[in-house]
Amino acid sequence: MRVAPAVETPVAIRIEGLKHAYQGHTVLEIDALDVREGEVLALIGPNGAGKSTLLRLINLLERPGQGDITYWDGSHLANLSRKQRRLLGLQMAMVFQDALLFKRTVRANISYGLRVRGMGRKERKGQIDEMLDLLGLGELADRDALSLSGGEAQKVSLGRALVLKPRILLMDEPFASLDYPSRMAMRNEIMGIIKEMGVTALYVTHDHHEVLEMADRIAVLHEGRIQQVGTPGDIFNSPVNETVASFIGVETILEGRAVHCKEGLTCARVNGVDVQVLAEARTGEKLKLVIHPEEVLILRDSAEAGSARNRFKARITGMAVLGPLVKVTLDCGFRLVSYITRTSLSEMGLDVGDEVTAAFKATAVHVIRH
Amino acid sequence: MGDIWNGIKQAFNLIIHFDPYVMRIALFTLYICAVATLAGTVVGIPLGTWLGLYRFKGRKIFVILVNAGMGLPPVVVGLFVFLFLKRQGPFGFLSWLYTPAAIFVAEVILAMPLIAGITMAALQDVDPKLRWQSLSLGASPFKSILTLLRESRLSLMAAVMAGFGAIISEVGAAMMVGGNLMLGQVPYTRTLTTSTVLAVSSGDSTLAIALGIILLTLTVLIIIPMTLIQQHARGKTTWLRGLKASLWFRRFEGA
Repeated sequence: MRVAPAVETPVAIRIEGLKHAYQGHTVLEIDALDVREGEVLALIGPNGAGKSTLLRLINLLERPGQGDITYWDGSHLANLSRKQRRLLGLQMAMVFQDALLFKRTVRANISYGLRVRGMGRKERKGQIDEMLDLLGLGELADRDALSLSGGEAQKVSLGRALVLKPRILLMDEPFASLDYPSRMAMRNEIMGIIKEMGVTALYVTHDHHEVLEMADRIAVLHEGRIQQVGTPGDIFNSPVNETVASFIGVETILEGRAVHCKEGLTCARVNGVDVQVLAEARTGEKLKLVIHPEEVLILRDSAEAGSARNRFKARITGMAVLGPLVKVTLDCGFRLVSYITRTSLSEMGLDVGDEVTAAFKATAVHVIRH
Repeated sequence: MGDIWNGIKQAFNLIIHFDPYVMRIALFTLYICAVATLAGTVVGIPLGTWLGLYRFKGRKIFVILVNAGMGLPPVVVGLFVFLFLKRQGPFGFLSWLYTPAAIFVAEVILAMPLIAGITMAALQDVDPKLRWQSLSLGASPFKSILTLLRESRLSLMAAVMAGFGAIISEVGAAMMVGGNLMLGQVPYTRTLTTSTVLAVSSGDSTLAIALGIILLTLTVLIIIPMTLIQQHARGKTTWLRGLKASLWFRRFEGA
């Protein structure tokens, strides 16, 4: 049974059978991908997955070896006239990982796109001032763009694209070169502006945390192919395969076999340990179990585990600080990873070698079948 | 020692009193070098741009030719221009030998590869993504090239000045194909360098020194702005900013 989406959103860009190669090496092979009007679609995947190539193909900076892209006005990439190409190009803008500012003032940089469109000086000034205000760059307007800090420069680069009010904004890891605090602040600010302007945005990143917060939908690319497209919820809770699961930050993927299944609750045996999973399975079926680190609780006393069906005696084998979180590696017959806050770490006084209880709900386990 | 000192004093006399012979030669030299540099720029910058930005079959050969051209010995250029222009040569029918046109040809051949080579190197140094960025912001392919040229404007200025500097100080080719001729009181193919050679060989060291001082002054006058522009590339000096902004490109980009 196919569930129809509640509201049919028009498609801004439809990609079909796209194939692109560099020197005989295929870097991109996409059977189908739609970008809907007004959405923020994140492209995630490891380096060399073909994400940047896809943006360049959409932006008409390169021609694909094969396949077609249909744009919002119904025109096909395969048979665009020179004029159409230009008109489409004027409605898209791209922001790169490096700010790529011109050796001019901040104002002149933001003005660039409007100027090459032949807009008059007066009209330009209004729009540039508006954008400078919006981004809080007013005081930097007359500074030499090359003297800006990394964060400021990236902001100017984004402003230079946003001032064009593009229909499609393409962003190739726009925040990747910034340090952690400025990245957080900036992506919230920029994403707010994008949503407010109603711009359709395609956004490449390999920070999966960023993506979960910012994107309406996510497309996971690996080795040039789309692995999965869906909402952050879809991707995070039900990755279709191991590649996606490992990429979106799931640390624990267990291999086991269903021992018995009753009323939708399956007991799977992993390394001799039984794990309760909320899923149907045939007895003897091979299963892969995905457990998100955020879902795994660490307890001093197993009585605190509440409704969690899975609780195991575990020993802490490692700890690593990840920003505000601490990644704790556990051994409970199989390897399990848990993220806890630094506060709870110090409250519980955990240390490597400690014996604890690890607990997670049967609903927290996602099953991947083969 | 006394000779030299006397020579210098008299040479300044010649310059201060605008000695017509010296001034005419200086003006003719400036004129022919400026025209040749202009021609070398008009050909050299597009050629350098083409070689710097585009990849095509046979590009390497052009790159090697341009790079080799940057170090051409003027005497050899003079020899080849002479062989082509002499009455029995392939272009003998033009009757350009021992005319300003012959000097012009030789000087363009000397300046053009320098200008093309420096332009090419400058554009290869620009991040290729900058071109994508400008196209993506809506620039036409032609405007995006102008943007890149504008980004490397300091190098382009250096290229033009290097071209000019190379030919104003060059003597071998000008002598060989121009012939160091006067038409009555007016220099026909006599430049500062060739007339200095003549003055020395005819024992007129005062004149030679005067000509030498003028040549040196002209060269320094070219080097001063070049150095200033390079040193103040990121500076705040307003008149230099005006120069840097090179309105020329801006006009075309905005068109």
